[in-house]
Amino acid sequence: MRVIGGLGQMVWTQWDELRHVAAVIGTVLYVSARPRYWVRTVRRAFVRQVVAIGVDSVGLVCGVAVFVGITVVVQLAFWVAEAGQSQMLGPLLVAVVARELSPVLIGIVVIVRSGSAMTTELGIMKIGGRVHVLDAQGISPFIYLVMPRVLAAAVSTFCLTIVFILVAFASGYLFGATVGTGSRDLPLFADTVSRAVRPKDVLAILSKSILPGLYTSASCCIGGLGVGGSLTEVPQATQRALVRSVAGLFVISTVVSFLTYL
Amino acid sequence: MNESTDILRFHDVTIAPDSDRESGISSLNLSLSPGDLTVVLWEKEQVRIPLADAAEGLVSPVRGTVSFLGEDWQTMAANRVASQRGKIGRVFEGESWLSYLDVDQNITLAQRHHTRRAVKEIEEEATHLCRVFGLPGLPRGRPSNARWQDLQKAACVRAFLGAPILILLENPTVGIYADVIAPLINTVREACERGEAVLWTTNELQAWNNPELRATARWRVLGSPTCVMEEAREAT
Repeated sequence: MRVIGGLGQMVWTQWDELRHVAAVIGTVLYVSARPRYWVRTVRRAFVRQVVAIGVDSVGLVCGVAVFVGITVVVQLAFWVAEAGQSQMLGPLLVAVVARELSPVLIGIVVIVRSGSAMTTELGIMKIGGRVHVLDAQGISPFIYLVMPRVLAAAVSTFCLTIVFILVAFASGYLFGATVGTGSRDLPLFADTVSRAVRPKDVLAILSKSILPGLYTSASCCIGGLGVGGSLTEVPQATQRALVRSVAGLFVISTVVSFLTYL
Repeated sequence: MNESTDILRFHDVTIAPDSDRESGISSLNLSLSPGDLTVVLWEKEQVRIPLADAAEGLVSPVRGTVSFLGEDWQTMAANRVASQRGKIGRVFEGESWLSYLDVDQNITLAQRHHTRRAVKEIEEEATHLCRVFGLPGLPRGRPSNARWQDLQKAACVRAFLGAPILILLENPTVGIYADVIAPLINTVREACERGEAVLWTTNELQAWNNPELRATARWRVLGSPTCVMEEAREAT
């Protein structure tokens, strides 16, 4: 009975956290649709976050994409050629690399690189009284701190996913062409991949990049701003936010994949 | 002055002690009209009193009301609260700088957020105030790289920037009394002449006793953890 009670308690806790994150995302989307909240300080905060989450991560994302391009793309190209199923290369690349692998890897990069920084920064601001200072100046912490971060994370995650896909395909093609395991015909390779992209793939990539971006950033903002009065709470809050974000990433990814195949 | 013209009014306000860092306040009746300067002295041994926070509606009284420009903070909508707080300038007790913004950006943040004034115009006013408070100009660079005395002066600049209706000064001269007291008193006097109200809390007896500080009311904070504020006849 105690085990079942504990399990029930855990489910309720998760459910409450999910509702909290959903409320933050909903409020961010609602507020961001109103131009009067986009005052110059908020616009500037948004740009700063896009740079921190998106632009500053391009190098790392390109590095991971090259690695995936060399391993996965080349492997797929080699094995479909071996199996005499070259016409399957495009659909396989789109399904495996673009639709499934890219959003998950980018989600992990964003969580590890920016999610942890976001929670820590906001936690330290909260404990140091800076959130209070903003509030006292009539600058809503939700509008100035949370909204730019959540939106910038969503935009950056999507853009990074596109960069990842392009770099992975380009590096896979170049490596395959160089070592002779793939086609040397670039227009043919590009045509094979682009023909395989269907509207539901585009929709899946959009959902799998934007939704985890929103979820991760909202979760990390809640974690950071939810700390109490002690610095020792920051690492714990960061750890909880990251675990929640990773779990959310895989759940969202799985649900979207399931819906795509329906 | 009657209630409708008060800029700030505490009506029978009781605030519970928050933690071991903040005192409470018991049954406070205090009002500031345009041009008023109220100075509040509290003992160094006392923990921080949440008077400025209460004046901005940042702490909820357990009894009584705090009104700003005739409106109770507790009954205002969130947007209204934010815009009304934008009309208040404040020197904060302790650290108050966002580390990822330069000092000049910190100083002008509220003005850039609440108004549509040109940045150049805001910076010109801030530069003028910086010179008044003994800084060579608008400080650039991160707060972590600035001298704390300069940050204390910059805090005064931030509080007076944009001619706020109410100015809350929490221990503004701490550590820089000799440097800043004369310009601060002059700036406070000019603000009062413009019809602004100033609430100055200090734990420095020399600031409280300064003959140049022509306060319309002087209060002392007595007791801890829940304080009683008592109006003093004159400086001691």
